[in-house]
Amino acid sequence: MTMARVAASQRSLLGHSYNLVGVVASLVILAWTLIAIFAPTIIPHSIGDIVDDDYFGPMRQGLWLGSDYLGRDMLSRVLMGARYTVGISLASVCIACFSGVVLGMIAAVTGGWLDTCLSRFLDAMNSIPSKLFGLVVVAAVGSSIPALILTLAVIYIPGAYRFARALAVNINTMDFMTVARVRGESTAYLIGSEILPNIMRPVLADFGLRFVFIVLLLSGLSFLGLGLQPPLADWGALVRENIGGLPFAAPAVIVPSLAIASLTISVNLLIDNLPQKIRDRDA
Amino acid sequence: MTSGVLNLVLKRLAIAVVTLLIVLFAVFFATSMLPGDTASILLGQAATPEAVAGLREAMHLNDPAILRFLRWLLGLLHGDLGTSYANEMPVAALIGGRFVNTMELAGITTLLSVPLALTLGITAAMLRGSLYDRTVTILAIGVISVPEFMVATLAVLLFAVYLKWLPALSSVNEAHTLTDLVRIYAMPVITLTFVISAQMIRMTRAAVIETLSTPYVEMALLKGASRGRMVLKHALPNALGPIVNAVALSLSYLVGGVIIVETIFNYPGIAKLMVDAVATRDLPLIQSCAMIFCLGYLLLITIADIIAIMSNPRLR
Amino acid sequence: MTDKITNWTSADDAMVENAIRRGASRRELLKLLLAGGAAFAAGSVVLGRATNAVAATPVSGGSFKAAGWSSSTADTLDPAKASLSTDYVRCCSLYNRLTFLDKDGVTQMELADSFDSKDAKTWTIKLRKGVTFHDGKDLTAEDVVFSLKRHLDKAVGSKVAKIAAQMTGFKAVDKSTVEITLADPNADLPTILALHHFMIVQDGTTDFSKGNGTGAFVLQTFEPGVRSVVTKNKNYWKSGKPHLDSFEFIAISDDSARVNALLSGDINFAASINPRAMKLIGGQQGFELSKTTSGNYTDLNIRLDMDPGNKADFVAGMKYLVNREQIVKSALRGLGEIGNDQPVSPANIFHNADLKPKAFDPDKAKFHFQKSGLLGQSIPVVASDAATSSIDMAVIIQAAGADIGMKLDVQRVPSDGYWDNYWLKAPIHFGNINPRPTPDILFSLLYASNAPWNESQYKSEKFDKLLVEARGSLDQAKRKEIYGQMQTMVSEEAGTIIPAYISNVDALSSKVKGLEANPLGGMMGYAMAEYLWLEA
Repeated sequence: MTMARVAASQRSLLGHSYNLVGVVASLVILAWTLIAIFAPTIIPHSIGDIVDDDYFGPMRQGLWLGSDYLGRDMLSRVLMGARYTVGISLASVCIACFSGVVLGMIAAVTGGWLDTCLSRFLDAMNSIPSKLFGLVVVAAVGSSIPALILTLAVIYIPGAYRFARALAVNINTMDFMTVARVRGESTAYLIGSEILPNIMRPVLADFGLRFVFIVLLLSGLSFLGLGLQPPLADWGALVRENIGGLPFAAPAVIVPSLAIASLTISVNLLIDNLPQKIRDRDA
Repeated sequence: MTSGVLNLVLKRLAIAVVTLLIVLFAVFFATSMLPGDTASILLGQAATPEAVAGLREAMHLNDPAILRFLRWLLGLLHGDLGTSYANEMPVAALIGGRFVNTMELAGITTLLSVPLALTLGITAAMLRGSLYDRTVTILAIGVISVPEFMVATLAVLLFAVYLKWLPALSSVNEAHTLTDLVRIYAMPVITLTFVISAQMIRMTRAAVIETLSTPYVEMALLKGASRGRMVLKHALPNALGPIVNAVALSLSYLVGGVIIVETIFNYPGIAKLMVDAVATRDLPLIQSCAMIFCLGYLLLITIADIIAIMSNPRLR
Repeated sequence: MTDKITNWTSADDAMVENAIRRGASRRELLKLLLAGGAAFAAGSVVLGRATNAVAATPVSGGSFKAAGWSSSTADTLDPAKASLSTDYVRCCSLYNRLTFLDKDGVTQMELADSFDSKDAKTWTIKLRKGVTFHDGKDLTAEDVVFSLKRHLDKAVGSKVAKIAAQMTGFKAVDKSTVEITLADPNADLPTILALHHFMIVQDGTTDFSKGNGTGAFVLQTFEPGVRSVVTKNKNYWKSGKPHLDSFEFIAISDDSARVNALLSGDINFAASINPRAMKLIGGQQGFELSKTTSGNYTDLNIRLDMDPGNKADFVAGMKYLVNREQIVKSALRGLGEIGNDQPVSPANIFHNADLKPKAFDPDKAKFHFQKSGLLGQSIPVVASDAATSSIDMAVIIQAAGADIGMKLDVQRVPSDGYWDNYWLKAPIHFGNINPRPTPDILFSLLYASNAPWNESQYKSEKFDKLLVEARGSLDQAKRKEIYGQMQTMVSEEAGTIIPAYISNVDALSSKVKGLEANPLGGMMGYAMAEYLWLEA
């Protein structure tokens, strides 16, 4: 950890302080993002082609990450999977957290009936099993990537809302909020300038967790028929379809798991180690 | 203060009934939107139009769904959960044992995971930025990044297949001694603890750090108050609201979300019951399960809200 | 139906059996097997069988726990409503049928003593005497009439109502004689009544949760969607059976979990394992595999009455585009036999072996697609986990199409409600058909012009005529010829592509003895409970 401390004390030209963990985490995320963007041009095999007579094949020349349960090239499937896991999850988590947090803050600041109605409505939404919800979406609007993103977002809005509201309610009782109110500030100002900066860090931590949940739920919804269609597969789906390879320690199941872990851990570490300047605002 | 809390509880109870009604109606409409009905699904591939019509008639499914739903609601007022369409057994009998199973699993998991997660979260916050803190974060996120079915399958492979320490299936009806009970619950409880702890650890850590950085705590620290004391006396009470909410959200998963654990360990609980019910469009059973999930969730968040309000003097 | 795997022959079987009698160790045997070219896992299968043959004296006693793959609150002990393997297994342990199919696919008598008919239209069934139900009452002709007649009642919701519809007259002639009249002559009646749904229940039964039958076991516990336990029927009419004291059946829907439960010793028997787990079980001491290839298949259905199936060239092209060898090799991992687009499998005595499957030929496929004017257009193909392996098959066909510029848009839809919403309805979709004992049942249900499940909407007057002709004939040779001709017609004219007959592999502890393959499906045609015993 000495290295991290040394790094933490270094200051860049922009006046932000970075630390090694944060830098590594952002590099991992950047790498996956680049892979997501360029995947179609760099994959060695088409993701639907069966290139190996064996299944759960080992890593070897030509099939660098082995083969999956049908004998398809795992490297190509993992690279293409990045596209869906990174893209869809990021889009959904942004929608879910943005809506949830904004609504949560509004409810906390406004209080009264709006708060009660919003809270109960979202509680009710959270009580509907997500599988039932997923099936209804498939039945109602069919399968498409936008539908998948929105469904994931809707499933996670109530949680984001509840947590943000709980934080905002506490801030709302602070003296500076009373002062701002007396000054006659608008709700938009209150939530944007007074509340948000003070709950930013826990909200970001919540964002990081929700991102993990969405990455995992994504594959579950694909299996309900909502979203990605074969031969496309996100990382969670890759783990799921190759789970039979677990007793053989097949790369087909281990590599996508590691990919998920590398991405989700990086996102959360980055959030913990955001540059000081941003973090200082809420002190 | 007690009367204030009592008032709040009463108010929340009234609102809970309304929320429950909204949920039941929402679930009803969701179910009606799904294609097919119990008769056609039970007949499966043998579902010719005449056969479906005949069976529907025999099962009294010819009344409009909304009418059957309202009738079920009316029965509910008398404490009657209705009769399952799929196998003509009383819903209460179907749910009974499985509900107890679910509660047992949820209870044991709670006892293990909540103290564990809170301790890890608070200590990580106190030692923010240290190697310990980062290790906790990496482990917590690492553990939930592994899909639940993989954790469960790995556990079975390791402890049941290779080491032969534990049974692969959690057959509750075979538990006679305390040792049996521990052996049966060990793997499902560990798997679920893995799944739900991360959220509690991370949120606790974030909330405690947040309050530790408020001006008055910083002031007290500058004046020489001990860090541990500050956390326990000031930071924790102030962070309690968000923490109990995170705990409530995590625990609510244990009521209706444990489908994977139930499937892999063949543990008969109500999550699988709900899945079966949806698959057969068994309205009374779907509604009863949805009601249990909803009540469980409402109970948890209401407790969370009350603790949050009581912990913050300005909210009382 | 047979256990033959790779190039294993009966001569090799004999060699292994001899070796066991000589007292060869397991390791020596494995060497022997590997030298013979059989795969490791395959070796296990044969090993198990050979050992069974030697230790032929059944042992009485023991409690047995088996796991199937699906179970829900809709589980039932009403044989007419049985829809899952789980239901079949339970019903087989509690009830008996009039007839059953033995391991060679030959119809044998069970509760019936004899079936007689002069014209294949009016049948006289003599019942076995001295058979009692679990509640002590004797089996009578009334029970049989009740059991068969109820399939015609729509309120029962029978799975075989369509097949039962040909029975128009039921008469209890005396206490042990039943007379059945058919609408049209059908020589297959004894075989039809071997279907699991035609189990014999007691006259007047409305509540089936007691499982009151004449079968080898008596019901002890039944929790739908959880488990069932049955215990030995001490008054069972088949002497010396059953061997087991109790038989518990559960379902573990997760493939890996089912295998792991077997390997950890929690259960004695895991039904229908994923082919990819064979390597795992084959590598462990104390476990065996049993393979059954019956008539189960997953087929790609192109409706001939809708776009694009109404273009004959499109259908022809698709038949060339399906790489059957690769489907068997990659999707089924060798556990299947290549199919030739008709439903009568090699396990059936009427199978037409001269009809060869179409070879994979992308060039011919491309030629036909070009001719149909559809090359380059995106064609939706509906697949679902509900139809076994259909998603893998779809992906394989899709990849082959991509190579020649034919874009197939695979749509994975939920298993939930699949049979209701997509099967028979979508222009191109997958189906999954369970084994049926006679070509007549298969053709009447699936290919006749008025068939309820005419998957590709195939219509042919000639075919309908042949169907009736074969049904009424008591001349076996003539029937074989007609059915052979009908298989060719379906293969060439219908829009159903049957790339393979799928094998079922059950995995079991080596202590389990008495298991044989059966043409009605895995788990000895679901009737294993009364035949198995546990070696001490």
